[in-house]
Amino acid sequence: MHKLKMAAALAAMLAATPALAKEITVWDVNVDEPSHATYYDHAKAAFEKAHPGDTLTFLSQPDAEYYTLLGTALASKTGPDVIWANGGAQAKNLVGGLIPLDDKLPDLIAKLVGKSAFTAPDGKLYFIPTTLQGHVVYYNKKLFKDVGLDPNKPPTTWAEVTKMCDAFKAKKLACFMMANKEGYEAEFFLSEMANQSLTSQQQADWLAGKLHWSDAPIKAILQTWVDTSKAGWYQEGGNSQTMFMDEFTLFSQGGAGNVWGLLSNVAHWKVFEKDMGVDNVGVYPMPSPTVAADQHAGAPGVPLDGGVGYGVNKDSPNIDLAVDAVKILASPDVLANLVNDSGVVPANTLVDTSGIDSPGLKQIMGWLANRAVPTTHANSSAAELDEWHHQSQLLLNGDTTVDAAAAALDKVQAQVKPQK
Amino acid sequence: MTAKTTSQSTQGVVTRFRSRKSRRTEARVALLFLLPAVLLVLVFRIIPLFWGFGISLTSATSTSAGEFIGAGNYLRALDDPNFRSSIANAGVVLLSVPIFVTIPMLLAILIDQGVPGRAFFRSVYFFPVVLSSVIIGSIFSVALSFNGSFNALLKSLGLPAVDWLGRSATALPVTLTIQSWSTFGMGVLIFLAGLSTVPKDMVEAARLEGAKMWQVWWHVIIPELRPIIEFSTVITTIGLLTSMFGLIYVLTGGGPGTATTVPEYLIWSAQGRLNQPAYAAALSIILFVMTSILAWLQIRIMSRNANL
Repeated sequence: MHKLKMAAALAAMLAATPALAKEITVWDVNVDEPSHATYYDHAKAAFEKAHPGDTLTFLSQPDAEYYTLLGTALASKTGPDVIWANGGAQAKNLVGGLIPLDDKLPDLIAKLVGKSAFTAPDGKLYFIPTTLQGHVVYYNKKLFKDVGLDPNKPPTTWAEVTKMCDAFKAKKLACFMMANKEGYEAEFFLSEMANQSLTSQQQADWLAGKLHWSDAPIKAILQTWVDTSKAGWYQEGGNSQTMFMDEFTLFSQGGAGNVWGLLSNVAHWKVFEKDMGVDNVGVYPMPSPTVAADQHAGAPGVPLDGGVGYGVNKDSPNIDLAVDAVKILASPDVLANLVNDSGVVPANTLVDTSGIDSPGLKQIMGWLANRAVPTTHANSSAAELDEWHHQSQLLLNGDTTVDAAAAALDKVQAQVKPQK
Repeated sequence: MTAKTTSQSTQGVVTRFRSRKSRRTEARVALLFLLPAVLLVLVFRIIPLFWGFGISLTSATSTSAGEFIGAGNYLRALDDPNFRSSIANAGVVLLSVPIFVTIPMLLAILIDQGVPGRAFFRSVYFFPVVLSSVIIGSIFSVALSFNGSFNALLKSLGLPAVDWLGRSATALPVTLTIQSWSTFGMGVLIFLAGLSTVPKDMVEAARLEGAKMWQVWWHVIIPELRPIIEFSTVITTIGLLTSMFGLIYVLTGGGPGTATTVPEYLIWSAQGRLNQPAYAAALSIILFVMTSILAWLQIRIMSRNANL
């Protein structure tokens, strides 16, 4: 009888005990970034309010080794519940370790743009994009005046770009910044040149691996890379110049007239407006040497896709909670803090950006509505981009030919995107 | 008498038993002391080695275990131009070993001969050794960039600027020069230790016989240093093959092209950038075999010297 009473008391105690508190961990490389602090604080508060007793923890990861650490953690099933990633090749490499989110967050997904950077070949979305990333040209209005150009009339065609660079060359100034030590400038160049020169079908073929590096439209881009270098558009020493962040700092200091920059996170309108003054920074979409049949001459597109996003580890013991954390991180109210503090362009169309008083951003937002084109390099595989880094450096140095470079890139493409 | 003999015999047996027991206890204690080291080697070296070899035979990625593909990754390495280039670069690195050994040896001999300011030079030469490769890489990245201080010096002398780290012809030699600068202090110390074992009377006798300085070096000091030269050659070779990653990562990122890509850098790239841990494991095994051959040579050289 005594034992029965004890057992009953124990059962009652267990029943009265609240469920064990759960912790959702997020790996992210921006945790120590001051401009992201409010965003994380609001996300944490919103999550913990929605799930009393549970916690949302952001763990800072080193940028340079992030994907190595993440890959090792996922392989040993010790990864975080929520995973941050850049859109494109890196995110697509990770999909085997994540759950698809299409059925989990349909209402949120309906309000997002920039999803293709996080969509796997199976057509499912594995990350929820929080920011948009795109490529535009930022220019120094003072230098435009110095070389005799109208600072309020940036080029809209390739002929005008050539004329602009001739003006800079005549004054012994670099027209564009070149920082290809890591090969990233070559990535940006690929997307900037493809934005008008490829048709929509060719962009789709590129993603599927049906358009090859040695095919005429892509080989023309490789040739332009060589020709513009030979024409003296760039400062010398580009192969030993670091892009992040030396190139952009040098541009801010007047190192060149133009720089291929970004829309979000780094090297974007807010950074340049702060460093150079709002009135001294201009922005325009990059014209391509040729204009494809379904593109518009004089109105270049803006390569645009998801910038960064959050996914859910399939081995997480708390998948539903992790999904909710992702939902909160991408929600309009929380994301608005990131937009205001760091100047990112949000992937959630419900975020209100009307309060941001920047002429540059207003122009960019206008182009995004009707001039967005795929980001060609984000639709390339990591192995192709790695080889393009190598070949672009050799091309700049004159150590290889366009044909040889295209053949080497074709070989890699055939390995990673085999055609049946 | 018989009783005494029996007693002695019993005592002997007891002593032998006690001695055997004590030896066993001693062996157990010794094993206990060895256990942490053995466990560390086993857990962090031997098991990962076999584990890595197992992965190298699969098509694993960070998110999937993959399938067994036998020697597929090894065959791929043979067909990979980047791997072939990294091996060629490793060959160039190995060819530079005599420079890595000779410079510290000559400097150590000079210090040992009693040049003025000997203590100062000893500390100054050792200074770069305490700096991490990332710091050294960052310093030289700035100094050797196209608009850096070194090119400014060249321009002030009327010479043309060179993109030292961005040109295929100069990137690897410059990287090796920086590696040599950053490590030669340790070589100087090793040779100084070796020089302290060279008999002073032999050097004195040679001088009394009228030998010139270079003759003393060539016929007396350097032959006496032979075991140290061999030791330094082997550890320098292994060090160059397995510890240049940090410097290359910061200085050139393996480029331009693959001009400064060595096998260990390619391993990191396959794992960290391309999400190909199985291929990275195969490359690691190949590098392991290469360094094992060098280690075998080291053991052979050391045992030969032990018999001198």
